[in-house]
Amino acid sequence: MASNSEMGSADFESLLSTSDVELLKRAWRNEKAAPEILPYQGDLVERAKGQIELVEGNIEDYVEDGIDPLVVSLYQMDLDRTQFLLRSYLRVRLLKIEKFMFHILKSEEAESRLSEQEKAFARRCAADLTKHFEESVLLKLPENYQTVQKQSLISDEDDMVPEPNLDTFVVCRSKNSLKLNLYEEGETPVILDLDRGEPSFVRYRAVKRAFESGEVELI
Amino acid sequence: MYGRKGYQLVKDFASGEKGQLKPFNSKLFDETIEECEQNHHLIQSLMRKMQREGLEVPNNRNADHYGALVHHLSLIRNKRCLMAYVHNRAEIVRDLAWRVGLELPYLPPEILEKLTTLEKEYFKNHSVAITSYMGKAGLELNVDMVPPKDPYIKVRVVGDIDRGIMMNDKATNFAPHSMHFLKRTDAEPYIARGQMEELTG
Repeated sequence: MASNSEMGSADFESLLSTSDVELLKRAWRNEKAAPEILPYQGDLVERAKGQIELVEGNIEDYVEDGIDPLVVSLYQMDLDRTQFLLRSYLRVRLLKIEKFMFHILKSEEAESRLSEQEKAFARRCAADLTKHFEESVLLKLPENYQTVQKQSLISDEDDMVPEPNLDTFVVCRSKNSLKLNLYEEGETPVILDLDRGEPSFVRYRAVKRAFESGEVELI
Repeated sequence: MYGRKGYQLVKDFASGEKGQLKPFNSKLFDETIEECEQNHHLIQSLMRKMQREGLEVPNNRNADHYGALVHHLSLIRNKRCLMAYVHNRAEIVRDLAWRVGLELPYLPPEILEKLTTLEKEYFKNHSVAITSYMGKAGLELNVDMVPPKDPYIKVRVVGDIDRGIMMNDKATNFAPHSMHFLKRTDAEPYIARGQMEELTG
């Protein structure tokens, strides 16, 4: 815990860290760093959109009122940054959907993390790419080898679906001290102590649970 | 050697610069498809032979069984290579839609000529998918690709741009090689299409 003399700044920091822009920044950073698609932050996106519209209106008013152009351009710069965050957040998600569309549509859990619009986008992407694959390759192959998901009809599982690599390494930071088991069940446990605020470099799979519960953030 | 064609096809893609397209290697591509057909014929004739001899294909591990297996493995290996080739090219095509523009005419001719008819079709379909998402989300997502540092940037006109485009309610003359100080968001589409370059430093 912070000592008394630090309380003031800690309070201010915690207040600052719950502002929507900070939340959006965190959602964006997490989304960028995580190998798999994360739950859609719908409420946050809607709030950010509303705020952007509000500031846009304000800036127009400032220009009409003849306020110092320098001040206006500072507001504009701030607005540009927020807009970039929002666009980039949505864009990073779409790029992940493009990359893992077949996997996402196959896995109920992954699909439930998308917004309605993203689901529509994923289905459309998959239909387009399937058509492209069929016309370019699959229809030219012998009968038993024509599906997108399987190498051939005798494959038991879908063995041609690209999946996110959950064993990739991520840089993460813990909000509190945390003990982390680096290995999965059945293996000799190796416990890693994460100190509060210290960045660590670990396998995504190992921090996945702590990350989903919000104890850890990715950077 | 079976399966080599597919390998060469993938190598052909991998030897290109990352994110850049090479012309579609239809000669090698068609040869790989042809090898798949040969493999398939041989699998079938081996299986027919075993059936003629009254042997059940899955249970008799004789030379013909393994022969058919080798052809099957060669076939699926070639299939993986063919799919990887098309898949990786499709990834670049999608990237073009994001970075350069959502309409075919926006693509520079030197890129356009490297795309096959099917890839152009895919580009169009995927652009529609992106556009329809952006419409529903009420946001343009294909602008602002790099984090903004400064709301205004200095640019030089490199290509031919229709003169008298309105920007900021002012008609500007974008003569070739002229330099301008523009809003980043206004200039970005032109930079993406290679009609302007950003001057830094």
